[in-house]
This record gives sequence, C-alpha cells and structure tokens, in this order.
Amino acid sequence: MIYTDLLVVGAGPAGLSAAAAAGTQGLDVLVLERSHQPGGQLVKQTHMFFGSKEQYAAYRGFEIADFLLDMIKMPNVKLQLNATALAAYDDGIWTAQVGEKYIKVKPRAVVVAAGANERNILFPGNDLPGVYGAGAVQTLMNQYGVRPAKRVVMLGAGNIGLIVSYQLLQAGVEVAAVVEASPNIGGYLVHASKLRRMGVPILTSHTVKRADGNETLESVTTWAIDEKWQGIPSTEVIWSADTLCIAVGLSPLCELLWQAGCKMVFVPELGGYVPYRDGNMATSIEGIYAAGDAAGVEEASVAMVGGKLAGLSAARYLGVDIPDESILDCHKQLEALRSGPAGAKIRAGLGKLTH
Amino acid sequence: MLEKTGVPTPEQVDSIFPTEERLSQGPIAIIECFQPIPCDPCATSCPQGAIAPFMDINDLPIINNKKCNGCGICIMKCPGLAIIVLDMTYSETQALIRLPYEFSPLPQIGEIVLALDRSGAKVAEAEVIRVTKGKPPIISIAVDKALVKTLRNIRPQPSEAAILCRCSDLNTDDIREFIAQGHTTVDAIKRLSRLGMGPCQGRTCTPLIIRELATVLSKPVESFQPGTYRPVVKSIKLGELAEYTE
Repeated sequence: MIYTDLLVVGAGPAGLSAAAAAGTQGLDVLVLERSHQPGGQLVKQTHMFFGSKEQYAAYRGFEIADFLLDMIKMPNVKLQLNATALAAYDDGIWTAQVGEKYIKVKPRAVVVAAGANERNILFPGNDLPGVYGAGAVQTLMNQYGVRPAKRVVMLGAGNIGLIVSYQLLQAGVEVAAVVEASPNIGGYLVHASKLRRMGVPILTSHTVKRADGNETLESVTTWAIDEKWQGIPSTEVIWSADTLCIAVGLSPLCELLWQAGCKMVFVPELGGYVPYRDGNMATSIEGIYAAGDAAGVEEASVAMVGGKLAGLSAARYLGVDIPDESILDCHKQLEALRSGPAGAKIRAGLGKLTH
Repeated sequence: MLEKTGVPTPEQVDSIFPTEERLSQGPIAIIECFQPIPCDPCATSCPQGAIAPFMDINDLPIINNKKCNGCGICIMKCPGLAIIVLDMTYSETQALIRLPYEFSPLPQIGEIVLALDRSGAKVAEAEVIRVTKGKPPIISIAVDKALVKTLRNIRPQPSEAAILCRCSDLNTDDIREFIAQGHTTVDAIKRLSRLGMGPCQGRTCTPLIIRELATVLSKPVESFQPGTYRPVVKSIKLGELAEYTE
C-alpha cells in the first residue's frame, strides 16, 4: 500500500498544475500517468497557445509541457508513468496498474484529471480502416513522426478539427475538406482563416453521410443538412480520401468519479456527464477534486488554472494554510479566460453545473 | 441463353406466362422449369390436380390454368425454387408476387426490399406484404404491374447500419432491435449484448448508445444514465491481481 497526501490522476496540463500547486506546499504527491510520456495532449500540440502569460500564451503546447514538468521537479512529488488508475473503492483505496503490476494507493485527497475521450458518430462505414479520431492522427503525426494519410476529409470545425487539419497540411498531407454539421465554425476563426488561406474548403451545415471502400477507406460521401440536422437528398458530394478524421468533440473521462460516488450532472456544453463541483473544484465527495477535461471539456489554458486551483483546494483541505489571494487569483484567471463571446457556451454550462 | 447464363430468355418467360385473360381472373402459379430433369413434386403435390401427372419423371410440368387456384403449395414443393404465384388482381396498379426465399433474416412485413430480375440486377423496390414461414419461407411482394415479367427475386436493402460498439461488434440495427424488444436502459442493453464491456469499457459507445436511445424513444438525452461504472476501468490480468503483495 502506498500512502500519500495527494493522488493526482493524469499528468496533462491540469494534473501537472495540481501536482505543482500541492507539491509547492510541501505535500507528498503521487501523479499517475497512463502514457509513457507526461504532458497529456500538450505534447502533440505544435501550435502556439492562446490565453495570457500566466497560461504561457504564444508558447507551443509541447513547450508548455516542459515548463509544467520543471514545476513538479521536487522530492515530494513523484510522477509514475505507464500507470493507469483502475478503480476508486469505498474505503478510500485507489488502485492502479503500473506496467504489469497492480498497486494500491491510500491518499488523503485526490485530484482526478483524467482528461477526455474522443467522441464518435454513427454513419455506415464508420468502422473502415482509415476512419480515425483526429487525436489518433495527431498522435501519429506529431508524437511519432508518421505521415498518417495522403488525403483527408476532416469532420468537425471545432478547434481540434481546424488545428489538426492545419497540422496535416504542414506534414504534407492534402486536406480535401473540413465538414461541420453546425451552421457556424465552432473553433477560433483565426484557425479557420489559416486553413482557408491554404485553399481548404470549410463546409458548414454539412456532415458525413457514409464512408466507403473495399478493404480500407476510399471515399467519403458528405451531404448538406437542414435545420433539423437531417441530410438533404441530392446534395451529396463524394470525396476521394484515404482518411476520414472525426473531430466531433470530447467526452470527459469520469469513470473514477462515478465509481467514487460523486454526484454527476449532464451538461452538454461541457461534454456530457461531468462531476458536480463547487467553485474550487471540489466534487460532492469530500477530499475528491476534479480538474481539466475530466471536469468539463475546455481549453488547455483553463485546465492549467483549474488544476492549480484543485491542487490548492486539496492542500487547504489537508490543513495547509492557503491564502485567499492565491485562490482568488485562480478564480480571476478562469473568469478572464471564459469571458467574451467565445466563452458563452462554457459559461452557460457552468451555470447548469452549480445550480 | 439459359444454358450459358442461367438466365431464361424473354421468349422462354413468355412461353410459360398465362394469358392476360387468365391473369385477370386471380392468382396462378407460374413454373419456370425449362430443362427436363428427373423431378415431379409439383405434379404430385398439387391439391387441385392442376399439374398434369407425369408420364415420365423427366416431363416438364404443364399447368391446367382452369384448375390452378394459385394456392402456392407447389412453391414450397419445388426443389428448384422455379415456381412463383402471380396475382394481377391484387390492386388497381399493383400485382402480388409470391416467391420462395431461403435467406436469413427473413424480411419483415411492410419492409421495402430491392426487387431483382432474373440476373439478380436491381430493377425496383417492393413492399413485403406477407411472410409465410414455411419450408421454404414464401414472401409476398407488391410490385408495379408493368414489371411482373421482369421481377423474380428480392434482396434486403443494403445495410445502413453503423458500428456503435466496436469492442463487442454491435451496430445500430442490433441496438434498435434491443430497444424494440423493450430494453430501454444502457445497463439492460449492456447486460444482453456486452456493449461497453470490451477494452474501451464504454468510453466510445456510451455517448452513442445514449444518443441512440434518446433518438429512438424521442426522449431527452439527459434522461438516460450511462451504465453502472464498476472497478476496474480497464481490463488487467488476474495474475497481476494475484501477484499483489502489501
């Protein structure tokens, strides 16, 4: 049995920020990371980040991962890679698989920052080889240096769809089109404009009707949809493509929070079922905190601040004297990041969460 | 050429088709048996005695159009699936064709199937009117009267099903069948189908099954709970648990 003050599940932007915040207060922290490499999604983000200087704006994602890793370099913070958190039990014991070994952890507090899972959608042919989640394509390309495709149709014009499309172009892959079911582009418009300047069409109010191919993907049929999201016959366009990237959003990875008995709330704006939490990231179960996409899908900048806030809240719960200003500073940063028209959806979702 | 292609010529089809007058009087069997082979169940099974007794077992069947009432017994007895029953009096514009069908699953009443010609090419769509679960099953389809000489087979519409649960290989048709049977929670469908119990442990399929339930049952998405989450979130070897020491 491993005893620790704080268990952090996930070494992405939220988890690392939580570990850094709690570690700086002198707490013993154990961070479990499923991957062989820490940083979560940051390590494959080759574009410059938005936000402000507190969230490392204008640096690229993989550089930010390095900054965060530097911040947890202290003897009382242990980062365990290849470690998948498996379960949360009633008696407060958490288990994990480290390599091929089963371990038990008895923490005094927990921050769950497990991230999110890519969503999928239903269309005939969605199981053909060549139909990928956009995250998988990004991993192949930016983490492992593999050119994943020759010609891609991207489904989804949120930030992930737009960014991965652009990175595919950078990797020498042709992007036939970006297709988006919503009437408007969901991601930042500066990302969309970068693509348009490279000649990539973005078709809003369109979706994938079907994917076809003999052994692997050969063509993608798209069509226009009406205001009830139903396909409009005779608007079909057939794109030849060897890869279809699905970038239709993320679902928070909350299994451990469900297991722990946390109150869960369905908030579509935040990606589906998310843990109820107070303004300081505390779930309904004492001593369990949530941060990052597992607490609701938002940008990495929010994940870092939310992670820090969760780490500070956990430290306060464990009896460390945390000055109010530190907490308030996090609140202020979060508020700024979620302000403005681009944050309207998130604000609406958070409103449902804390009622 | 039938001998080379397996497809009878239009002249051959014409040669066994009843007269307009007979067709206007009600259902009648049509036997597409063009090659003398040693076989006679059609003649011996007809309750009306409408198929003349064979002198030689290699005789071709000859139907007495006055005696045949289109009962269809011979459809089930013909080992060559060579017999259909055609009813031109079915409606003003449509005829009813009863044909033997030996493929699973059987179509459902009301289903729109592809209607094929004698070479298997799709010619039209047809509604399934009756499904008689005999040996072999007999499917009745309603078709445009102009096509009765052309249509001779059916095939289900190509599946539009999409994979919903990759781990347990369940598609949208499978899921809709469970819902139609009255299983309307994620947990119920999970227990019956193993949905969400594979390597992904529901990460990919849970949002999809919830959406599918909401769509089919016309209920809001938030009225469905995901399946019960239990330890562990990913599969590990029992040996790893057994080897655990404090």
